[in-house]
Amino acid sequence: MINSLPSAWQAVSIAGGSVYVVQMLSGVLPYTGQWNPEGEYEYNMDVLAEEPELVNDDPDEGPFEWKFTFDEDAVWSDGTPMSGEDLRATWMMSASPDEGYCEGCDSRGTMSADKIEEIETDGQTATIRLKEGLADPEWESVFDAHSVAGGFLPAHLAEENGWDIDDPAQLGEYYEWLHSTMPEWSGGPYQIVEGDLNTEVIKEPNPEWWGDEPGLDRIRMPFNDDEGTFYNAFVNDEIDGANPADYNEDVFTQLEGVDNANMGIDEGSTWEHLSFNLEVEALQDVELRRAIFTAIDRDDIASRNYEAGYPEYELKNNHIFGNDSEYFVDHYEDETQGTGDIDAATEILEDAGYEIEGDQLTLDGEEVGPFSLRSTDSSVRNTSVQLIQQKLAEIGITANIDMTDDLGTMTAEADYDIVQFGWSGSPWFATNPEQFWHSESGSNFGGYANDEVDELTEAVTNASSLDEAADKANQAMEVLVPEAYVMPLMADPNYFFADERLENVHDNLNSSYRATYNIGEWTLADQ
Amino acid sequence: MLVYTMRRLVGAIPVLVLASILTFVMVDISGDPLLELRTATPPPPEAVIEQEAERLYLDRSMPERYWLWVTGIGGEGNIGLLQGEFGPSTQGQQYEIGPEIAERLWTTLRLVGIAMLLALGLAIIAGAVSAMRQYSKLDYTLTFVGFLCLAMPTFWLAGIVQASGVEINQLIGENLFKTIGDGRYGAEGAPPWDQFVNAFAHMALPTLVLMLTSFASWSRYQRTSMLEVLNSDYVRLARAKGLRDKVVIRRHALRTALIPLTTVFALGVAGIIDGTILTETVFQWRGLGDFFITAVENNDSYALMGWLLLSGFMVILANLIADLLYGVLDPRIRYE
Repeated sequence: MINSLPSAWQAVSIAGGSVYVVQMLSGVLPYTGQWNPEGEYEYNMDVLAEEPELVNDDPDEGPFEWKFTFDEDAVWSDGTPMSGEDLRATWMMSASPDEGYCEGCDSRGTMSADKIEEIETDGQTATIRLKEGLADPEWESVFDAHSVAGGFLPAHLAEENGWDIDDPAQLGEYYEWLHSTMPEWSGGPYQIVEGDLNTEVIKEPNPEWWGDEPGLDRIRMPFNDDEGTFYNAFVNDEIDGANPADYNEDVFTQLEGVDNANMGIDEGSTWEHLSFNLEVEALQDVELRRAIFTAIDRDDIASRNYEAGYPEYELKNNHIFGNDSEYFVDHYEDETQGTGDIDAATEILEDAGYEIEGDQLTLDGEEVGPFSLRSTDSSVRNTSVQLIQQKLAEIGITANIDMTDDLGTMTAEADYDIVQFGWSGSPWFATNPEQFWHSESGSNFGGYANDEVDELTEAVTNASSLDEAADKANQAMEVLVPEAYVMPLMADPNYFFADERLENVHDNLNSSYRATYNIGEWTLADQ
Repeated sequence: MLVYTMRRLVGAIPVLVLASILTFVMVDISGDPLLELRTATPPPPEAVIEQEAERLYLDRSMPERYWLWVTGIGGEGNIGLLQGEFGPSTQGQQYEIGPEIAERLWTTLRLVGIAMLLALGLAIIAGAVSAMRQYSKLDYTLTFVGFLCLAMPTFWLAGIVQASGVEINQLIGENLFKTIGDGRYGAEGAPPWDQFVNAFAHMALPTLVLMLTSFASWSRYQRTSMLEVLNSDYVRLARAKGLRDKVVIRRHALRTALIPLTTVFALGVAGIIDGTILTETVFQWRGLGDFFITAVENNDSYALMGWLLLSGFMVILANLIADLLYGVLDPRIRYE
């Protein structure tokens, strides 16, 4: 079961750009590689003849360049071999309108595609060259399972339908066709044989699939956006499993009690954080911000929210890397921030000239605050802001809780003093630091500006390797954390459940495909 | 009657136009259709936002957009009610509002059609019996059931019915009731009996919920109306003339007592479009209620306008049908 309605048949566009579209297309879209549940990157050797080759990784010596070669057996479901042209068409549809390749295309993520100068194709080989001076530490990712398309799209169908992919207007028509037409084509172990975007899709094995034979004869993927129905539907044998997008303790514990449920829960890709609006004059004082973060008890927030269903929760001590990542550095090890230590918070305030008179914090005789403490109205965030409010009261700060249903407007207009919301991470991390903290980023809602952080985040995006990018990202966090602009709290857990008669079904929290990432390997236990 | 009907239909046009202007303005000022795009992470390039604004005609003023929405003159062929186009959707180029509404309307009608008929029949019988046996145990029982159904929030009642369906399935060891979806792909190409069983399995529980929620209020109206008629002079006269009780009830009392229920029923049917939102959500049916919620979530102005227009049209139509039915039920009413 897919946890919401996919709004288009492909994932490149703004409308189609959701994990639900990607999961619907699991087993259908081919891709060059993906992160497995253990956090290791695997190339898709069903599709590729050999591992991709990095031809030049030094932009000073020439264009940053790499090469993909498809396996000779790799074909689309109509028998057409996969080719470099497929990658070229996918790239042109994924680029921003300013690049001029595709008229009317509205790709949801253009950053990687816009770096590419050209893709040279020679049959089953594609050589990708970046624009002068640019590098991409995540070069393998451009056509993988985590890319904007969730893989790559066929080019030959454009020609079959009378469109020339080198004509921007015609490529735009092809793009629209791909998003509005149920794919009867496939480049994976399954193909969609029936369905619509409102109710469900039904998949059957792709007869042209050249890899290991898929284990199931038919897969029904209903779309269900009401988690309250999961338990009844599962017990009533209407669904065999799901990987819900959100953690709901009631549903999780209910499902845990079902005998035939194979359950899994772990740290998900979305993490909660607190952030200040630096346009607010009082909050421009770093000592006040540090004192506020110090007064907040992250462990209390996490345990009150997750202890019952997920007692293994861990606090997030690195904004970009999970605790099990090879690049993880604990940036809060020597920090008082997030400890809930009221004495330490009080000391910071007093050293900075603040006074607590009665139950009110003042500076030069003036009241500090009150501050608006905002978030979206979910049970986790409701609990969290109430705990924060209590803690801030202990250091003489009044926080007025104001929940909203419209996170977009609130953050875009920076209509808050202190805010809690979630960011989504991924093993591909290189664009995140710039997006979160660069002074010119549209997602740096609180207005943080630091030249050193700007430089470091730009260096992350344009690093030549992941190691270099990770190092720069950690350097940026070293600068950022003492400035107490944003404090990570904890990663939201994600769970999945499946009927135990199914085998090889497990969650992959490193991928948008989640449990469907290995759909071709699903089998029945008695097979 | 034909002239009257035509006059009413023509008279409805300015009402619809005024309602559409009012709702267009309200929808327009209620949110920015591009908000989600502007606040997306990672942020899309400015060129994509501009392109989307142009596609949704947001580069034009509100009066221009309204004129465009009605006439389609100056549009790209995807807008203009007079041309049969409802406008572009924020849910993507592939999302066609007109066909989507038509498909969703059919789904909703399928869900509520039987429920309404059953609820109406049950309400008439229960209301009439309650009135005829006023203050009896049966009356108290029916009154209790009616108030119970009225008092229970729809989502809660739906949840209970859903869980009960699962319990019954487990007791009988058969999957007689389904709890989610309309099962449209469940029996395609199967023999008619299998198709019926599949349809029944998916429709039974949501139909029961809708029936109970509608029956509850309608039966109360019917009871009150019936009591009023039973205590009227002409019924007493009919009885005094020696007519049999059954004839008095069937021919004289019930027919008159149905008139108030006609209005309530007609408006109830019109309100079904928005009244099924919760039931559709709990049972995961993709009808007009779900269409409305999705449109609101996506700040989809033209989709909302399409839904509101249909809703307004249904209210006008239902009122007209109710007025015409008065003539059928009450011989004193004639339309000229």
